[in-house]
Amino acid sequence: MSALYLRRRITNALAMTMSMLATLVGLAFLAWILWETLRQGISALDLKLFTKITAYGEDGGLLNSMAGSLIINFIGIGIATPIGVLAGTWLAEYANRTKLGESIRFLNDILLSAPSIVMGLFVYTIIVLPSTALTHGNTTFSGFAGGVALALIALPVIVRTTDEMLRLVPSTLREAALSLGVPQWKLTLQILIRAARSGIITGVLLALARISGETAPLLFTAFGNNYMAINPMEKMSSLPQIIYQYANDPGEAMHALAWAGAFVITMFVLLLSLASRLILSRTKVSHD
Amino acid sequence: MTDPALAARPLPVASPKFTVRDLHFHYGDFHALKGIDMDIPEKQVTAIIGPSGCGKSTLLRIFNRIYAIYPKLRATGSILLDGENILDPRYSMNRLRSKIGMVFQKPVPFPMTIFENVAYGIRHHESALGLSGGQQQRLCIARAIALKPEVLLLDEPTSALDPIATGRIEQLVEELKSEFTIVIVTHNMQQAARVSDLTAFMYLGELIEFDKTEKIFTKPDKKQTEDYITGRFG
Repeated sequence: MSALYLRRRITNALAMTMSMLATLVGLAFLAWILWETLRQGISALDLKLFTKITAYGEDGGLLNSMAGSLIINFIGIGIATPIGVLAGTWLAEYANRTKLGESIRFLNDILLSAPSIVMGLFVYTIIVLPSTALTHGNTTFSGFAGGVALALIALPVIVRTTDEMLRLVPSTLREAALSLGVPQWKLTLQILIRAARSGIITGVLLALARISGETAPLLFTAFGNNYMAINPMEKMSSLPQIIYQYANDPGEAMHALAWAGAFVITMFVLLLSLASRLILSRTKVSHD
Repeated sequence: MTDPALAARPLPVASPKFTVRDLHFHYGDFHALKGIDMDIPEKQVTAIIGPSGCGKSTLLRIFNRIYAIYPKLRATGSILLDGENILDPRYSMNRLRSKIGMVFQKPVPFPMTIFENVAYGIRHHESALGLSGGQQQRLCIARAIALKPEVLLLDEPTSALDPIATGRIEQLVEELKSEFTIVIVTHNMQQAARVSDLTAFMYLGELIEFDKTEKIFTKPDKKQTEDYITGRFG
């Protein structure tokens, strides 16, 4: 065996070991988080967690928080998805390589990294405060305001992924369609969005996973509610908010409920990520 | 028109489909085509050959103005299609492109069914992406001619295919020539000799020689053409 070959084999073995170790460390933390939330919350992980509301305190469950989380997330993703997909499409297909497009892409990246509490305060200022003034001093925290705050966090994620997924579609596909005399809007709607569909859906799911764990933007907007609220114009509880609240409570049983809530969120986010992986791998379009 | 060398290149036919005059093309600062004059006859196969980077694909991509989707590319001069200048910004791109079909180097099936790709054919409700390369390329030709264009531009249509699939495409070109004006860019000189009626030889952005295929391949007028044909460079 030549010295060169030996050196390459050693380098290869080293690199393999290092990358496997890195993967293991990442996975170990994930398993640890799941295990810890499960262990701490196991005493509260029962049927009443899903059937009773938080008004019963330590004898209650988290039903209203889960319902609230679902509604608020739905509003957030419902607002962010159409705007985000349209904006991303505009960036990739109409404003690509223009000064305006580049500036907006840059601003979107700034929005992407904006602290989430800022979004909460912003929505508090533009929605909660004015509507409080309108209703003569009744505080108007609402699930809707919470949804808007989450939409502001999801929006740049969706814009970014849509933009990138469309720009990954090879330009030969655009040339082939345009050379058939197809107008740009038809090309975009019927071919490009189709080719990038799975990537765009993945982006939306990842944005949903991202916002479903957000606490800070909800504190000044949805606020919290110990009773069941379905109307988005009312104050609304949510899982991250109730975890925050219960974790600050001195009672052991409340801590267990908070851990159980944390376990539910973690599982939800994990399942969303898995779903997006599955969509990406199953419907991968090859252009070769 | 002012090029004195033009006289040395007899116009091969009386009824040109395209009349190219003093065509220049720039990729930003790069001068890719330097004053091309040529007449492309109707319902015949015209092959464009030349070494990599000579501008043959560039020229083809001006005929349907597909270059215009990229910024910083500029064409000057004139190309008359049935007497109208297609480089005139008022000439509708959609009209131009529905008159001119194009098939690319690599087959580009759309991510949908065969039926949706062409609206007819066998096995047409399966994904077009499951076809073999040769089938995909014939599908793309079918998709182009389904729109009943007058001109078919083929940009190295067989360079990604095996010899059998290539043979089928060449046969198809032979059959299509009675109905369409075909311009084919190819790296493969034997292919140009087999399928075309006329051959244009380009080098470094200039049209060196343009004549009947038989003449180009047997007794070309220019030394450069002969050197390329005989494989002395390229």
